[in-house]
Amino acid sequence: MNFWINFWTIFFIASLALFAGMAVVVTIGGFFNIRSLFKGLTNRVNQQEESPHKDDD
Amino acid sequence: MDLSVIGIDSNFSLVDWCIVVGYLIIIVAVGVYIKRYISNVTDFIVAGRGLKTFLAIATMIGTELGLVTVMYSAQKGFTGGFAAFHIALAASIVTLVVGLTGFIVVPLRRMKVMTIPEFYERRFGRGVRILGGTILAFSGILNMGMFLKAGSIFVMGITGMTEDIHLKIIMSVLLGMVLLYTTLGGMVSVVVLDYIQFVVLSFSLLAASLLSIRYLGWQNIIDTVSELKGSAGFNPFDSEGFGVSYVVWMFFLGLVSCAVWQTAVIRACSAENTRTVKKIYTWASIGFLIRFLLPYFFGICAFVYISQHESLKSIFIPDAGSVDSQVTLMAMPVFLSQILPAGFIGIVSAGMLAAFMSTHDSYLLCWSSVLTQDVVAPWFKKGLSSNTRLLLTRIFIVAIGIFILVWGLWYDLGQDLWDYMAISGAIYFTGAIALLVFGLYWKRASKIGAYLALICGFGAIIGLKPIQALLGMDVSSAIVGLTVIALAIVVMVVGSLLFPDRSKPSKSKE
Repeated sequence: MNFWINFWTIFFIASLALFAGMAVVVTIGGFFNIRSLFKGLTNRVNQQEESPHKDDD
Repeated sequence: MDLSVIGIDSNFSLVDWCIVVGYLIIIVAVGVYIKRYISNVTDFIVAGRGLKTFLAIATMIGTELGLVTVMYSAQKGFTGGFAAFHIALAASIVTLVVGLTGFIVVPLRRMKVMTIPEFYERRFGRGVRILGGTILAFSGILNMGMFLKAGSIFVMGITGMTEDIHLKIIMSVLLGMVLLYTTLGGMVSVVVLDYIQFVVLSFSLLAASLLSIRYLGWQNIIDTVSELKGSAGFNPFDSEGFGVSYVVWMFFLGLVSCAVWQTAVIRACSAENTRTVKKIYTWASIGFLIRFLLPYFFGICAFVYISQHESLKSIFIPDAGSVDSQVTLMAMPVFLSQILPAGFIGIVSAGMLAAFMSTHDSYLLCWSSVLTQDVVAPWFKKGLSSNTRLLLTRIFIVAIGIFILVWGLWYDLGQDLWDYMAISGAIYFTGAIALLVFGLYWKRASKIGAYLALICGFGAIIGLKPIQALLGMDVSSAIVGLTVIALAIVVMVVGSLLFPDRSKPSKSKE
Protein backbone atom coordinates (compact mmCIF):
# COMPACT_ATOMS: atom_id res chain seq x y z
CA MET A 1 0.00 0.00 0.00
CA ASN A 2 2.94 2.34 0.70
CA PHE A 3 3.90 2.24 -2.97
CA TRP A 4 0.46 3.52 -3.98
CA ILE A 5 0.42 6.20 -1.25
CA ASN A 6 3.76 7.59 -2.46
CA PHE A 7 2.80 7.22 -6.10
CA TRP A 8 -0.49 9.14 -5.78
CA THR A 9 1.14 11.82 -3.59
CA ILE A 10 3.83 12.58 -6.17
CA PHE A 11 1.31 12.24 -9.03
CA PHE A 12 -1.09 14.71 -7.40
CA ILE A 13 1.54 17.37 -6.62
CA ALA A 14 3.13 17.10 -10.09
CA SER A 15 -0.29 17.34 -11.76
CA LEU A 16 -1.26 20.45 -9.78
CA ALA A 17 2.01 22.18 -10.69
CA LEU A 18 1.66 21.21 -14.36
CA PHE A 19 -1.93 22.43 -14.53
CA ALA A 20 -1.13 25.73 -12.79
CA GLY A 21 1.54 26.42 -15.44
CA MET A 22 -0.77 25.43 -18.26
CA ALA A 23 -3.63 27.57 -16.93
CA VAL A 24 -1.42 30.67 -17.06
CA VAL A 25 -0.16 29.96 -20.60
CA VAL A 26 -3.62 29.08 -21.98
CA THR A 27 -5.25 32.12 -20.33
CA ILE A 28 -2.80 34.51 -22.00
CA GLY A 29 -2.65 32.67 -25.35
CA GLY A 30 -6.44 32.22 -25.45
CA PHE A 31 -7.02 35.95 -25.05
CA PHE A 32 -5.00 36.70 -28.19
CA ASN A 33 -6.72 33.83 -30.05
CA ILE A 34 -10.16 35.33 -29.27
CA ARG A 35 -9.06 38.66 -30.73
CA SER A 36 -7.93 36.91 -33.88
CA LEU A 37 -11.16 34.85 -34.10
CA PHE A 38 -13.35 37.95 -33.96
CA LYS A 39 -11.20 39.70 -36.54
CA GLY A 40 -11.75 36.75 -38.91
CA LEU A 41 -15.49 36.54 -38.22
CA THR A 42 -15.95 40.29 -38.72
CA ASN A 43 -14.31 39.98 -42.14
CA ARG A 44 -16.61 37.06 -43.02
CA VAL A 45 -19.73 39.00 -41.96
CA ASN A 46 -18.59 41.99 -44.03
CA GLN A 47 -17.98 39.75 -47.07
CA GLN A 48 -21.40 38.14 -46.55
CA GLU A 49 -23.05 41.56 -46.59
CA GLU A 50 -21.24 42.45 -49.80
CA SER A 51 -22.23 39.15 -51.56
CA PRO A 52 -25.43 37.94 -49.83
CA HIS A 53 -26.00 34.95 -52.19
CA LYS A 54 -22.90 33.15 -50.98
CA ASP A 55 -24.02 30.46 -48.50
CA ASP A 56 -21.92 28.44 -46.09
CA ASP A 57 -18.98 26.27 -47.12
CA MET B 1 -31.78 17.13 3.29
CA ASP B 2 -31.77 19.87 5.96
CA LEU B 3 -28.35 19.87 7.65
CA SER B 4 -29.12 22.96 9.75
CA VAL B 5 -31.04 20.74 12.22
CA ILE B 6 -27.70 19.07 13.14
CA GLY B 7 -25.92 22.44 13.38
CA ILE B 8 -24.33 22.42 9.92
CA ASP B 9 -24.86 25.79 8.19
CA SER B 10 -23.40 26.80 4.84
CA ASN B 11 -20.88 29.67 4.63
CA PHE B 12 -22.77 30.87 1.53
CA SER B 13 -23.78 34.51 2.18
CA LEU B 14 -25.52 37.44 0.46
CA VAL B 15 -22.18 38.55 -1.02
CA ASP B 16 -21.84 35.13 -2.64
CA TRP B 17 -25.33 35.38 -4.14
CA CYS B 18 -24.41 38.79 -5.63
CA ILE B 19 -21.22 37.35 -7.14
CA VAL B 20 -23.08 34.39 -8.66
CA VAL B 21 -25.98 36.42 -10.09
CA GLY B 22 -23.68 39.19 -11.41
CA TYR B 23 -21.35 36.68 -13.07
CA LEU B 24 -24.19 34.77 -14.73
CA ILE B 25 -25.79 37.95 -16.09
CA ILE B 26 -22.47 39.07 -17.58
CA ILE B 27 -21.75 35.79 -19.36
CA VAL B 28 -25.26 35.51 -20.80
CA ALA B 29 -25.03 39.11 -22.05
CA VAL B 30 -21.70 38.31 -23.73
CA GLY B 31 -23.20 35.20 -25.33
CA VAL B 32 -26.17 37.12 -26.71
CA TYR B 33 -23.95 39.98 -27.96
CA ILE B 34 -21.91 37.53 -30.04
CA LYS B 35 -24.94 36.78 -32.27
CA ARG B 36 -23.81 39.58 -34.59
CA TYR B 37 -20.78 37.50 -35.67
CA ILE B 38 -22.86 34.55 -36.96
CA SER B 39 -23.33 34.63 -40.72
CA ASN B 40 -23.93 30.94 -41.61
CA VAL B 41 -24.28 27.40 -40.28
CA THR B 42 -20.50 26.73 -40.32
CA ASP B 43 -19.96 29.75 -38.07
CA PHE B 44 -22.79 28.48 -35.86
CA ILE B 45 -21.61 24.87 -35.49
CA VAL B 46 -17.81 24.95 -35.81
CA ALA B 47 -17.07 28.69 -35.32
CA GLY B 48 -16.07 29.10 -38.96
CA ARG B 49 -13.28 26.51 -38.32
CA GLY B 50 -11.20 29.37 -36.96
CA LEU B 51 -10.13 28.05 -33.55
CA LYS B 52 -6.44 28.53 -32.80
CA THR B 53 -4.51 26.33 -30.36
CA PHE B 54 -4.91 28.08 -26.97
CA LEU B 55 -8.55 29.02 -27.45
CA ALA B 56 -9.32 25.48 -28.62
CA ILE B 57 -7.56 24.04 -25.54
CA ALA B 58 -9.46 26.39 -23.22
CA THR B 59 -12.79 25.60 -24.81
CA MET B 60 -12.15 21.85 -24.85
CA ILE B 61 -11.25 21.84 -21.16
CA GLY B 62 -14.05 24.33 -20.43
CA THR B 63 -16.57 21.94 -21.93
CA GLU B 64 -15.21 18.79 -20.36
CA LEU B 65 -14.64 20.36 -16.93
CA GLY B 66 -18.34 20.89 -16.30
CA LEU B 67 -20.23 20.89 -13.03
CA VAL B 68 -21.54 17.43 -13.82
CA THR B 69 -17.97 16.14 -14.23
CA VAL B 70 -17.03 17.73 -10.93
CA MET B 71 -20.07 16.14 -9.24
CA TYR B 72 -19.70 12.58 -10.54
CA SER B 73 -15.93 12.63 -10.09
CA ALA B 74 -16.23 13.89 -6.52
CA GLN B 75 -18.68 11.08 -5.86
CA LYS B 76 -16.13 8.56 -7.19
CA GLY B 77 -13.42 10.12 -5.01
CA PHE B 78 -15.77 9.92 -2.02
CA THR B 79 -16.59 6.25 -2.58
CA GLY B 80 -13.29 5.05 -4.11
CA GLY B 81 -10.60 7.14 -2.36
CA PHE B 82 -7.20 7.76 -3.96
CA ALA B 83 -7.62 4.65 -6.12
CA ALA B 84 -10.07 6.71 -8.22
CA PHE B 85 -7.04 8.73 -9.41
CA HIS B 86 -6.36 5.91 -11.91
CA ILE B 87 -9.31 7.18 -14.00
CA ALA B 88 -7.63 10.58 -14.34
CA LEU B 89 -4.31 8.93 -15.18
CA ALA B 90 -5.93 6.71 -17.83
CA ALA B 91 -7.74 9.68 -19.42
CA SER B 92 -4.54 11.70 -19.55
CA ILE B 93 -2.36 8.93 -21.01
CA VAL B 94 -4.88 8.12 -23.74
CA THR B 95 -5.41 11.79 -24.66
CA LEU B 96 -1.64 12.31 -24.85
CA VAL B 97 -1.27 9.29 -27.16
CA VAL B 98 -4.08 10.63 -29.38
CA GLY B 99 -2.36 14.04 -29.41
CA LEU B 100 1.04 12.63 -30.36
CA THR B 101 -0.24 10.21 -33.01
CA GLY B 102 -3.37 12.02 -34.26
CA PHE B 103 -5.22 8.69 -33.91
CA ILE B 104 -8.81 9.05 -35.25
CA VAL B 105 -9.01 12.85 -34.83
CA VAL B 106 -6.50 13.92 -37.50
CA PRO B 107 -8.08 11.87 -40.33
CA LEU B 108 -11.50 13.23 -39.26
CA ARG B 109 -10.29 16.84 -39.40
CA ARG B 110 -8.60 16.16 -42.73
CA MET B 111 -11.95 15.02 -44.11
CA LYS B 112 -13.49 18.33 -42.91
CA VAL B 113 -16.52 16.61 -41.41
CA MET B 114 -18.66 18.48 -38.86
CA THR B 115 -20.05 15.40 -37.11
CA ILE B 116 -19.01 11.76 -36.79
CA PRO B 117 -22.11 10.44 -38.62
CA GLU B 118 -21.05 12.64 -41.55
CA PHE B 119 -17.93 10.47 -41.66
CA TYR B 120 -20.17 7.38 -41.62
CA GLU B 121 -21.84 8.57 -44.83
CA ARG B 122 -18.57 9.29 -46.61
CA ARG B 123 -17.23 5.88 -45.66
CA PHE B 124 -20.28 3.60 -45.46
CA GLY B 125 -23.22 5.37 -47.08
CA ARG B 126 -26.24 7.47 -46.18
CA GLY B 127 -28.19 4.76 -44.30
CA VAL B 128 -25.33 4.23 -41.83
CA ARG B 129 -25.21 7.98 -41.26
CA ILE B 130 -28.90 8.17 -40.38
CA LEU B 131 -28.79 5.12 -38.08
CA GLY B 132 -25.50 6.26 -36.49
CA GLY B 133 -26.81 9.80 -36.05
CA THR B 134 -30.01 8.57 -34.43
CA ILE B 135 -28.14 6.31 -31.98
CA LEU B 136 -25.61 9.06 -31.25
CA ALA B 137 -28.30 11.64 -30.52
CA PHE B 138 -30.33 9.15 -28.42
CA SER B 139 -27.28 8.18 -26.38
CA GLY B 140 -26.04 11.76 -26.03
CA ILE B 141 -29.38 13.18 -24.95
CA LEU B 142 -29.87 10.32 -22.47
CA ASN B 143 -26.32 10.95 -21.24
CA MET B 144 -27.04 14.59 -20.45
CA GLY B 145 -30.39 13.68 -18.86
CA MET B 146 -28.89 13.71 -15.38
CA PHE B 147 -27.11 17.05 -15.73
CA LEU B 148 -29.92 19.10 -14.20
CA LYS B 149 -30.24 16.73 -11.27
CA ALA B 150 -26.51 16.91 -10.54
CA GLY B 151 -26.63 20.69 -10.86
CA SER B 152 -29.57 20.97 -8.49
CA ILE B 153 -27.84 18.76 -5.91
CA PHE B 154 -24.76 21.00 -6.09
CA VAL B 155 -26.82 24.17 -5.55
CA MET B 156 -28.61 22.50 -2.65
CA GLY B 157 -25.36 21.38 -0.98
CA ILE B 158 -23.36 24.58 -1.44
CA THR B 159 -26.05 27.09 -0.50
CA GLY B 160 -27.70 25.07 2.25
CA MET B 161 -31.09 25.34 0.51
CA THR B 162 -33.61 22.66 1.36
CA GLU B 163 -36.84 23.51 -0.48
CA ASP B 164 -37.28 21.44 -3.64
CA ILE B 165 -39.43 24.09 -5.32
CA HIS B 166 -36.69 26.76 -5.08
CA LEU B 167 -34.24 24.43 -6.73
CA LYS B 168 -36.56 23.57 -9.57
CA ILE B 169 -37.09 27.28 -10.23
CA ILE B 170 -33.34 28.01 -10.19
CA MET B 171 -32.52 25.10 -12.48
CA SER B 172 -35.26 26.10 -14.92
CA VAL B 173 -33.95 29.68 -14.99
CA LEU B 174 -30.40 28.44 -15.61
CA LEU B 175 -31.58 26.21 -18.43
CA GLY B 176 -33.54 29.12 -19.91
CA MET B 177 -30.40 31.28 -19.90
CA VAL B 178 -28.37 28.52 -21.62
CA LEU B 179 -31.06 28.06 -24.26
CA LEU B 180 -31.12 31.78 -24.91
CA TYR B 181 -27.47 32.27 -25.74
CA THR B 182 -26.90 28.87 -27.35
CA THR B 183 -29.76 29.31 -29.83
CA LEU B 184 -28.55 32.81 -30.66
CA GLY B 185 -24.76 32.63 -30.63
CA GLY B 186 -23.94 28.98 -31.50
CA MET B 187 -20.34 27.79 -31.35
CA VAL B 188 -18.80 31.28 -31.28
CA SER B 189 -20.55 32.19 -28.03
CA VAL B 190 -19.82 28.68 -26.72
CA VAL B 191 -16.06 29.01 -27.23
CA VAL B 192 -15.85 32.52 -25.78
CA LEU B 193 -17.86 31.57 -22.70
CA ASP B 194 -15.92 28.32 -22.35
CA TYR B 195 -12.75 30.43 -22.30
CA ILE B 196 -14.10 32.70 -19.53
CA GLN B 197 -15.22 29.64 -17.61
CA PHE B 198 -11.83 27.96 -18.07
CA VAL B 199 -10.07 30.96 -16.53
CA VAL B 200 -12.45 31.35 -13.57
CA LEU B 201 -12.73 27.65 -12.82
CA SER B 202 -9.04 26.72 -13.25
CA PHE B 203 -7.79 29.26 -10.76
CA SER B 204 -10.65 28.86 -8.28
CA LEU B 205 -10.32 25.05 -8.27
CA LEU B 206 -6.56 25.28 -7.76
CA ALA B 207 -7.12 27.67 -4.85
CA ALA B 208 -9.86 25.44 -3.39
CA SER B 209 -7.47 22.43 -3.51
CA LEU B 210 -4.79 24.32 -1.59
CA LEU B 211 -7.39 25.51 0.95
CA SER B 212 -8.62 21.92 1.42
CA ILE B 213 -5.09 20.65 2.08
CA ARG B 214 -4.47 23.53 4.48
CA TYR B 215 -7.72 22.85 6.34
CA LEU B 216 -7.45 19.06 6.64
CA GLY B 217 -3.68 18.44 6.41
CA TRP B 218 -2.17 16.06 3.83
CA GLN B 219 -1.07 13.44 6.38
CA ASN B 220 -4.52 13.47 8.01
CA ILE B 221 -6.13 12.83 4.61
CA ILE B 222 -3.80 9.89 3.88
CA ASP B 223 -4.19 8.40 7.38
CA THR B 224 -8.00 8.63 7.39
CA VAL B 225 -8.41 7.04 3.95
CA SER B 226 -5.89 4.36 4.92
CA GLU B 227 -7.73 3.61 8.16
CA LEU B 228 -11.30 3.56 6.74
CA LYS B 229 -10.80 2.17 3.22
CA GLY B 230 -7.57 0.14 3.61
CA SER B 231 -5.66 -0.96 0.52
CA ALA B 232 -8.73 -0.54 -1.73
CA GLY B 233 -8.59 3.21 -1.05
CA PHE B 234 -5.21 3.43 -2.84
CA ASN B 235 -4.68 0.38 -5.06
CA PRO B 236 -6.99 0.50 -8.12
CA PHE B 237 -6.38 -3.20 -8.87
CA ASP B 238 -7.62 -4.28 -5.44
CA SER B 239 -10.70 -6.47 -5.96
CA GLU B 240 -12.35 -4.94 -2.88
CA GLY B 241 -12.34 -1.60 -4.71
CA PHE B 242 -12.29 -1.02 -8.49
CA GLY B 243 -10.56 -4.17 -9.80
CA VAL B 244 -8.75 -4.98 -13.06
CA SER B 245 -11.80 -4.98 -15.38
CA TYR B 246 -12.80 -1.50 -14.16
CA VAL B 247 -9.28 -0.14 -14.85
CA VAL B 248 -9.33 -1.56 -18.41
CA TRP B 249 -12.84 -0.09 -18.94
CA MET B 250 -11.48 3.32 -17.84
CA PHE B 251 -8.77 3.22 -20.52
CA PHE B 252 -11.48 2.63 -23.13
CA LEU B 253 -13.52 5.47 -21.68
CA GLY B 254 -10.44 7.70 -21.80
CA LEU B 255 -10.09 7.03 -25.54
CA VAL B 256 -13.79 7.52 -26.10
CA SER B 257 -13.99 10.79 -24.12
CA CYS B 258 -11.30 12.45 -26.19
CA ALA B 259 -11.48 10.85 -29.64
CA VAL B 260 -14.92 9.32 -30.15
CA TRP B 261 -17.32 11.44 -28.09
CA GLN B 262 -18.87 14.00 -30.41
CA THR B 263 -18.55 16.99 -28.02
CA ALA B 264 -14.76 16.53 -27.92
CA VAL B 265 -14.40 15.61 -31.59
CA ILE B 266 -16.32 18.74 -32.66
CA ARG B 267 -13.39 20.73 -31.19
CA ALA B 268 -11.00 18.84 -33.46
CA CYS B 269 -13.35 19.55 -36.39
CA SER B 270 -13.39 23.25 -35.43
CA ALA B 271 -9.59 23.51 -35.35
CA GLU B 272 -7.68 25.60 -37.87
CA ASN B 273 -5.67 22.65 -39.28
CA THR B 274 -4.46 19.12 -38.45
CA ARG B 275 -1.31 20.41 -36.74
CA THR B 276 -3.51 22.41 -34.37
CA VAL B 277 -5.59 19.27 -33.70
CA LYS B 278 -2.50 17.39 -32.49
CA LYS B 279 -1.39 20.35 -30.37
CA ILE B 280 -4.84 20.68 -28.80
CA TYR B 281 -4.90 17.04 -27.76
CA THR B 282 -1.33 17.02 -26.47
CA TRP B 283 -2.03 20.05 -24.26
CA ALA B 284 -5.53 18.94 -23.36
CA SER B 285 -4.11 15.73 -21.87
CA ILE B 286 -3.25 17.88 -18.84
CA GLY B 287 -6.80 19.24 -18.81
CA PHE B 288 -8.31 15.75 -19.10
CA LEU B 289 -6.12 14.75 -16.14
CA ILE B 290 -7.15 17.69 -13.98
CA ARG B 291 -10.85 17.59 -14.82
CA PHE B 292 -11.01 14.28 -12.97
CA LEU B 293 -8.15 14.63 -10.49
CA LEU B 294 -9.25 17.79 -8.64
CA PRO B 295 -12.88 16.69 -8.19
CA TYR B 296 -11.69 13.24 -6.99
CA PHE B 297 -9.54 15.06 -4.48
CA PHE B 298 -12.49 17.17 -3.29
CA GLY B 299 -14.49 13.94 -2.92
CA ILE B 300 -11.68 12.39 -0.85
CA CYS B 301 -11.46 15.54 1.30
CA ALA B 302 -15.25 15.45 1.79
CA PHE B 303 -14.93 11.82 2.91
CA VAL B 304 -12.21 12.73 5.42
CA TYR B 305 -14.08 15.80 6.69
CA ILE B 306 -17.39 13.96 7.08
CA SER B 307 -15.78 10.92 8.74
CA GLN B 308 -14.42 13.26 11.43
CA HIS B 309 -17.83 14.86 12.17
CA GLU B 310 -20.09 12.39 13.96
CA SER B 311 -23.36 14.10 12.99
CA LEU B 312 -22.46 14.16 9.28
CA LYS B 313 -20.93 10.68 9.41
CA SER B 314 -24.23 9.14 10.48
CA ILE B 315 -25.85 10.53 7.30
CA PHE B 316 -23.11 10.09 4.69
CA ILE B 317 -21.09 7.11 6.01
CA PRO B 318 -23.40 5.10 8.27
CA ASP B 319 -21.93 2.05 10.04
CA ALA B 320 -24.56 -0.28 8.57
CA GLY B 321 -26.38 -0.36 5.23
CA SER B 322 -25.64 1.35 1.91
CA VAL B 323 -26.09 5.04 1.19
CA ASP B 324 -28.28 6.41 -1.61
CA SER B 325 -26.36 7.70 -4.65
CA GLN B 326 -28.00 11.11 -4.29
CA VAL B 327 -26.61 11.48 -0.74
CA THR B 328 -22.98 10.71 -1.74
CA LEU B 329 -23.33 13.19 -4.60
CA MET B 330 -24.05 15.91 -2.07
CA ALA B 331 -20.95 15.23 0.06
CA MET B 332 -18.56 17.43 -1.96
CA PRO B 333 -20.71 20.60 -2.07
CA VAL B 334 -21.49 20.25 1.64
CA PHE B 335 -17.74 19.97 2.36
CA LEU B 336 -16.90 23.03 0.23
CA SER B 337 -19.71 25.02 1.89
CA GLN B 338 -18.03 24.38 5.25
CA ILE B 339 -14.37 25.11 4.50
CA LEU B 340 -14.44 27.91 1.89
CA PRO B 341 -14.73 31.47 3.25
CA ALA B 342 -17.65 33.76 2.30
CA GLY B 343 -16.84 35.64 -0.91
CA PHE B 344 -14.54 32.94 -2.25
CA ILE B 345 -17.36 30.39 -2.09
CA GLY B 346 -19.34 32.73 -4.39
CA ILE B 347 -16.52 32.77 -6.95
CA VAL B 348 -16.21 28.96 -6.86
CA SER B 349 -20.00 28.57 -7.14
CA ALA B 350 -20.20 31.08 -10.01
CA GLY B 351 -17.42 29.15 -11.78
CA MET B 352 -19.22 25.86 -11.17
CA LEU B 353 -22.58 27.20 -12.36
CA ALA B 354 -20.91 28.71 -15.41
CA ALA B 355 -19.38 25.27 -15.97
CA PHE B 356 -22.86 23.78 -15.66
CA MET B 357 -24.15 26.15 -18.33
CA SER B 358 -21.09 25.74 -20.50
CA THR B 359 -21.45 21.96 -20.60
CA HIS B 360 -25.14 22.34 -21.37
CA ASP B 361 -24.54 24.76 -24.22
CA SER B 362 -21.91 22.55 -25.85
CA TYR B 363 -23.99 19.40 -25.48
CA LEU B 364 -27.18 21.09 -26.67
CA LEU B 365 -25.39 22.47 -29.70
CA CYS B 366 -23.73 19.15 -30.38
CA TRP B 367 -26.80 16.90 -30.24
CA SER B 368 -29.04 19.36 -32.06
CA SER B 369 -26.42 19.63 -34.83
CA VAL B 370 -26.32 15.84 -35.10
CA LEU B 371 -30.12 15.65 -35.36
CA THR B 372 -30.17 18.36 -38.03
CA GLN B 373 -27.12 17.37 -40.07
CA ASP B 374 -27.25 13.60 -39.71
CA VAL B 375 -30.82 12.53 -39.06
CA VAL B 376 -33.04 15.09 -40.84
CA ALA B 377 -30.91 16.64 -43.63
CA PRO B 378 -29.89 13.33 -45.34
CA TRP B 379 -33.59 12.63 -46.14
CA PHE B 380 -33.68 15.68 -48.44
CA LYS B 381 -32.01 14.81 -51.74
CA LYS B 382 -31.61 18.45 -52.75
CA GLY B 383 -30.22 19.27 -49.32
CA LEU B 384 -31.36 21.92 -46.87
CA SER B 385 -30.45 25.58 -47.08
CA SER B 386 -28.17 27.08 -44.46
CA ASN B 387 -31.07 29.07 -42.99
CA THR B 388 -33.32 26.02 -42.69
CA ARG B 389 -30.55 24.05 -40.99
CA LEU B 390 -29.94 26.92 -38.57
CA LEU B 391 -33.65 27.09 -37.72
CA LEU B 392 -33.89 23.31 -37.27
CA THR B 393 -30.82 23.29 -35.01
CA ARG B 394 -32.37 25.99 -32.84
CA ILE B 395 -35.70 24.12 -32.62
CA PHE B 396 -33.88 20.92 -31.57
CA ILE B 397 -31.92 22.85 -28.92
CA VAL B 398 -35.17 23.97 -27.29
CA ALA B 399 -36.79 20.50 -27.62
CA ILE B 400 -33.78 18.77 -26.02
CA GLY B 401 -33.75 21.39 -23.26
CA ILE B 402 -37.37 20.60 -22.39
CA PHE B 403 -36.66 16.84 -22.47
CA ILE B 404 -33.71 17.02 -20.07
CA LEU B 405 -35.67 19.20 -17.67
CA VAL B 406 -38.38 16.54 -17.43
CA TRP B 407 -36.00 13.52 -17.49
CA GLY B 408 -33.61 14.95 -14.90
CA LEU B 409 -36.36 15.51 -12.39
CA TRP B 410 -38.11 12.18 -13.01
CA TYR B 411 -35.47 9.43 -13.57
CA ASP B 412 -34.35 7.44 -10.51
CA LEU B 413 -30.54 7.17 -10.78
CA GLY B 414 -29.98 3.92 -8.82
CA GLN B 415 -26.19 3.83 -9.48
CA ASP B 416 -23.13 6.12 -9.26
CA LEU B 417 -23.62 9.06 -11.62
CA TRP B 418 -20.31 8.28 -13.36
CA ASP B 419 -21.48 4.75 -14.14
CA TYR B 420 -24.80 6.08 -15.51
CA MET B 421 -22.86 8.52 -17.72
CA ALA B 422 -20.45 5.82 -18.91
CA ILE B 423 -23.13 3.32 -19.81
CA SER B 424 -25.55 5.77 -21.44
CA GLY B 425 -22.62 7.01 -23.55
CA ALA B 426 -21.65 3.40 -24.31
CA ILE B 427 -24.91 2.93 -26.25
CA TYR B 428 -23.27 5.08 -28.91
CA PHE B 429 -19.52 4.71 -28.52
CA THR B 430 -19.22 0.94 -28.30
CA GLY B 431 -20.46 0.75 -31.89
CA ALA B 432 -18.86 4.03 -32.98
CA ILE B 433 -15.36 3.02 -31.91
CA ALA B 434 -15.53 0.02 -34.25
CA LEU B 435 -16.81 2.15 -37.15
CA LEU B 436 -14.20 4.86 -36.63
CA VAL B 437 -11.15 2.66 -36.12
CA PHE B 438 -11.98 0.15 -38.85
CA GLY B 439 -13.52 2.74 -41.18
CA LEU B 440 -10.42 4.93 -41.00
CA TYR B 441 -7.70 2.28 -40.89
CA TRP B 442 -9.09 -0.87 -42.60
CA LYS B 443 -9.97 -0.71 -46.29
CA ARG B 444 -12.17 -3.82 -46.19
CA ALA B 445 -14.57 -2.43 -43.54
CA SER B 446 -18.03 -2.65 -45.13
CA LYS B 447 -21.48 -1.16 -44.79
CA ILE B 448 -23.02 -4.38 -43.39
CA GLY B 449 -20.23 -4.62 -40.80
CA ALA B 450 -20.96 -1.00 -39.83
CA TYR B 451 -24.70 -1.63 -39.43
CA LEU B 452 -24.04 -4.71 -37.29
CA ALA B 453 -21.54 -2.88 -35.05
CA LEU B 454 -23.96 0.03 -34.49
CA ILE B 455 -26.85 -2.29 -33.61
CA CYS B 456 -24.60 -4.36 -31.36
CA GLY B 457 -23.40 -1.22 -29.54
CA PHE B 458 -26.99 -0.37 -28.69
CA GLY B 459 -26.94 -3.46 -26.45
CA ALA B 460 -24.93 -1.47 -23.90
CA ILE B 461 -28.27 -0.12 -22.68
CA ILE B 462 -28.54 -3.23 -20.45
CA GLY B 463 -25.85 -1.66 -18.27
CA LEU B 464 -28.41 0.82 -16.89
CA LYS B 465 -29.73 -0.27 -13.49
CA PRO B 466 -33.46 0.20 -14.26
CA ILE B 467 -33.05 -1.99 -17.38
CA GLN B 468 -31.16 -4.61 -15.35
CA ALA B 469 -33.92 -4.53 -12.74
CA LEU B 470 -36.47 -5.18 -15.51
CA LEU B 471 -34.40 -8.11 -16.83
CA GLY B 472 -33.69 -9.44 -13.33
CA MET B 473 -29.90 -9.28 -13.65
CA ASP B 474 -27.04 -7.53 -11.84
CA VAL B 475 -23.84 -7.08 -13.89
CA SER B 476 -21.24 -4.33 -13.40
CA SER B 477 -21.19 -1.54 -15.99
CA ALA B 478 -17.52 -2.31 -16.73
CA ILE B 479 -18.29 -5.92 -17.70
CA VAL B 480 -21.29 -4.87 -19.84
CA GLY B 481 -19.26 -2.13 -21.59
CA LEU B 482 -16.21 -4.29 -22.31
CA THR B 483 -18.34 -7.19 -23.55
CA VAL B 484 -20.32 -4.98 -25.93
CA ILE B 485 -17.13 -3.34 -27.29
CA ALA B 486 -15.61 -6.79 -27.95
CA LEU B 487 -18.82 -7.95 -29.68
CA ALA B 488 -19.05 -4.78 -31.79
CA ILE B 489 -15.48 -5.31 -33.02
CA VAL B 490 -16.16 -8.97 -33.81
CA VAL B 491 -19.37 -8.27 -35.79
CA MET B 492 -17.66 -5.41 -37.63
CA VAL B 493 -14.82 -7.69 -38.79
CA VAL B 494 -16.98 -10.76 -39.51
CA GLY B 495 -19.71 -8.69 -41.21
CA SER B 496 -17.14 -6.92 -43.41
CA LEU B 497 -15.45 -10.17 -44.43
CA LEU B 498 -18.71 -11.99 -45.17
CA PHE B 499 -20.51 -9.07 -46.82
CA PRO B 500 -17.93 -6.82 -48.50
CA ASP B 501 -19.05 -3.59 -50.22
CA ARG B 502 -19.71 -3.98 -53.96
CA SER B 503 -18.94 -0.35 -54.73
CA LYS B 504 -17.54 2.53 -52.72
CA PRO B 505 -20.24 4.94 -51.39
CA SER B 506 -20.22 8.24 -53.24
CA LYS B 507 -18.96 11.29 -51.39
CA SER B 508 -21.80 13.40 -50.09
CA LYS B 509 -22.05 17.12 -50.54
CA GLU B 510 -22.75 19.02 -47.30
